[in-house]
Amino acid sequence: MTREQTSILILDDEPIVSKRLKPSLEKKGYEVETFTSSEAALKRIEERRFHIVVTDLKMEGVDGMEFLTRVKEKYPDTEVIVITGFATMATAKESFNKGVFDFLAKPFKLGEITEAIRKAEAKIRGTGD
Amino acid sequence: MITIRNMLRRITGLLTGNREEPVPFRILFADFKKSLELNNQILDLIGDANDKLSGDYIFDEQYIRTTCEQLTDLVRQLIVIINHLTGQKYMGLYRSFHAIEEDIRAILGGRLLNQGDELILPYAEINRDLMDMVGGKNAHIAEIGSLLNLRIPDGFAITTAAYAAFIRDNRLQEPIETIRSQWQQGSIRVEEASKRIRELILGAQVPQELEREILKAADQIVRHHQGISPCFAVRSSGLGEDELASFAGQYHSCLNIPLEEIPRAYREVIASLYSPEAMEYRLQMDFRPHEIMMAVACQLMVPAKASGVLYTYDPVNPRSESMLISSAWGLGEPIVSGEVPTDTFVLDRRGTHEVRQMQIVRKDQSQGLQGCGGLKIDRVAVQEQTAPSLSREQLQELARIGLQLEKYFKRPQDIEFAIDQHDRIIVLQSRQLRLQEQAAPRACDLTGLGEQYPIIMRGKGVAAMEGIALGEAWVLDGKRKLEDFPMGAILVARHASPQLARVIHRAAGFITDIGSTTGHLATVAREFRVPALFNTGDGTRQIAHGREITLDTECLTIYGGLVQELQYYAIGEEPIAEMYEYRLLRRVLKKIEPLNLVDPKDDNFTPEACRTYHDLTRFVHEKAVETIIDLNFYHTHHRDTQSGRLLWDFPLDLILIDAGGGIQGEHKTGVRPEQITSVPMQALLQGMSWPGIWDTSPVPVDVSSFMASLTRTTQTRNSSPEEVGRNLAVVSAEYTNINFRLGYHFTVIDAFVSDNILDNHIYFRFSGGVTETVRRARRTRLLARILGEYDFLCEVHGDIVVARLKRLDRDSMLKRLFLLGVLVGFTRQLDVQMISDSKIDEYFTKIKKIMEEHDDQGTDEHSHP
Repeated sequence: MTREQTSILILDDEPIVSKRLKPSLEKKGYEVETFTSSEAALKRIEERRFHIVVTDLKMEGVDGMEFLTRVKEKYPDTEVIVITGFATMATAKESFNKGVFDFLAKPFKLGEITEAIRKAEAKIRGTGD
Repeated sequence: MITIRNMLRRITGLLTGNREEPVPFRILFADFKKSLELNNQILDLIGDANDKLSGDYIFDEQYIRTTCEQLTDLVRQLIVIINHLTGQKYMGLYRSFHAIEEDIRAILGGRLLNQGDELILPYAEINRDLMDMVGGKNAHIAEIGSLLNLRIPDGFAITTAAYAAFIRDNRLQEPIETIRSQWQQGSIRVEEASKRIRELILGAQVPQELEREILKAADQIVRHHQGISPCFAVRSSGLGEDELASFAGQYHSCLNIPLEEIPRAYREVIASLYSPEAMEYRLQMDFRPHEIMMAVACQLMVPAKASGVLYTYDPVNPRSESMLISSAWGLGEPIVSGEVPTDTFVLDRRGTHEVRQMQIVRKDQSQGLQGCGGLKIDRVAVQEQTAPSLSREQLQELARIGLQLEKYFKRPQDIEFAIDQHDRIIVLQSRQLRLQEQAAPRACDLTGLGEQYPIIMRGKGVAAMEGIALGEAWVLDGKRKLEDFPMGAILVARHASPQLARVIHRAAGFITDIGSTTGHLATVAREFRVPALFNTGDGTRQIAHGREITLDTECLTIYGGLVQELQYYAIGEEPIAEMYEYRLLRRVLKKIEPLNLVDPKDDNFTPEACRTYHDLTRFVHEKAVETIIDLNFYHTHHRDTQSGRLLWDFPLDLILIDAGGGIQGEHKTGVRPEQITSVPMQALLQGMSWPGIWDTSPVPVDVSSFMASLTRTTQTRNSSPEEVGRNLAVVSAEYTNINFRLGYHFTVIDAFVSDNILDNHIYFRFSGGVTETVRRARRTRLLARILGEYDFLCEVHGDIVVARLKRLDRDSMLKRLFLLGVLVGFTRQLDVQMISDSKIDEYFTKIKKIMEEHDDQGTDEHSHP
């Protein structure tokens, strides 16, 4: 099976999220880049496209909603998964209106996010879901 | 729609005209119910929080803060309620509550906390729970001695509480802070600040009490080891961050110190907390003033023939599967600091640990003890100068010890050792070995592992603790005894029984067919960071005993063979449980989760003795039940709030309070079962008195002794009759709320059964005692299974079982209340009977049979709506 690795950008200002997710996703064969500052992540997005973006909502500076809006503008095919510790119906609704693929409330299980990523990947590759 | 609350209000509304009772029962009972609700919420939250330590969740600091806030809020409400209920009888709870709340806030604020007032702790009393008090070095070496049975130098810890006393008694906090801030504002250089602070410390007095305790502890050790050097090594044993390699060597050690000189050496060691390097480091790591503390290790000096350092991996090239040992004659200090040439040995990590390379250098000098007090340089005898400083047997034993320590601490280790005058290996220190970053393989190397190694199992089970384990599978079945479990194997068992925790120090991993991530074994696995995969269904059948396997709990995969790629991956990444958030959660849980108040008969069952939120919750629950009973049974009450003791063939001490339509007829001397008109209560009593319960038990138990075991456990057997039990049932025609306290056991049942399906509910909570964890866990498993069988939504937190059921029709509800009645009677007896795992199946079948018999009588068999 030779195909391009699925690339994932993770943005969360709490470092533990990236620390936990990166090795786990890499082990499953994904290419992962992690950021704790939304400015740095925004800069990276200008440089290249990622298949999947995982982002927190509430952050210093550019917040997650702004960030994901920018991502979807620039790369409509990139699937965005929102993870947040302050989940409300309003934010969930707003996220989905902006074309977010999935919305997870923290804390969540590792299995839940890998499943969401797997589904997003399947959608991108047109292999189901 | 009639809600339950309205119903209750209507039922008990008659009582409000009561002139003698200041607070109507309706209100008190509402308080009582609210306290139960809070009790349940609190225990659920605590269970969930512990579950987060498995590594299977993504959580952040925000989660920890929110959970603590919620718990604090719920516990505060609980205390308000019990005081409302009792006329402000337990105001002392506020003081305990505020102390705990304050501690939690301090922990969340990043401050470390002492867990006790002890100034000195001997190694025999130290375990990893005391890490914040004795520092990493002490905690590790003490565990190596007590749990792994390896030789360590005897010693004791001078705690951070002692440090705090030293600073406080000498009033050093303020002057130190002044100098520190001068440095941070740039008005003096770090060298100047360091020098001034160290002078302050060196010029201060060790508090008299501390000095006395130090000398006493040292003296005891000297007496215990007569003939050995009566001098000590006094070293730093820092907290938290200084475990990092970057911090090592920044503190001072004093060697070969005679007993009476220890207090002086102690001052020197703690002064090194303010070395310029350490101060710079802490500034960089954003340490707060209150985090600057030091514990000290006092260890009996080992008059070493030879000393050395062992790395369990080659840090530059971990894939070479080698261990490195360097050693020389005499004491270890010059070897560690690289001052003398050393012999170097490269050993195979695998098999019999063949020596792959050996480089012997000329060692003409060695460091030795100058009597007691001071060190000297000796000239090494000519014939020994070019001889290896370790024998082949010693090398191989070192390799085995190295792997044992690595398995125990779950990371590559950097170990300092000495060879004593009897040629025995003494472990002086063991800490995590940092491997070079590039040692971790690139992720792409890992995909497709399944093609290289056979997959025994994938996607089955739940991770109770994340991680990777390599080793031989050891399947626990009828043929094998747990005592024979070998070091470093992976235990494969049918149930995640708490009994398995006995081999936690030897196990590389756990795999079970059945088990929950909130059970006792899961908690222990997390504490010791042993990868654990539970609930695989048929692991014991799929995995052959003796086969080499690799367990990857994160991917829920078990491979045949030793997948070294995963091992390298595991050692290369930062272990999840070492991350700040995990440490923080573990620390706050210490103020929340442990239960110290166990027996209501104990003298310490007081508001003042509550040290955790769990204690407070337990205390309030006990007193809430007691209060409701007292108010309504022992005191005068309104003629409409009927209450009485149940008159039964069985000595079940149950007090019934009628909140309306639950009891009929006169009951001055007590309530006979046939007088009970409460529908849910009838069903429960029917279950409890069902003859099959005891007739089918393997050991003949007569009715009265069975019921005696139900109400009178050994702890309460000697109490006066009024004191036994304290079992309360509040009943109305359609409602029952029961609180049983049977010794250390609690059962709460809350049920409402009417013709209106939407209002119907059953809540059942069962929690075990403090004795006999193994049997209790079996009982928990049996309960969960049988309740699940009858459609209850069941949660297990440790040994607490919570089951809920809603919205079934009247008869289906009553059938399940009958079941609960059977279980309440049965399970108490089961504590004694659950002598093996096979009993679970046996009793499951028996209870199902009782249910069928009950159905056959045509009492109430109906399908679900």
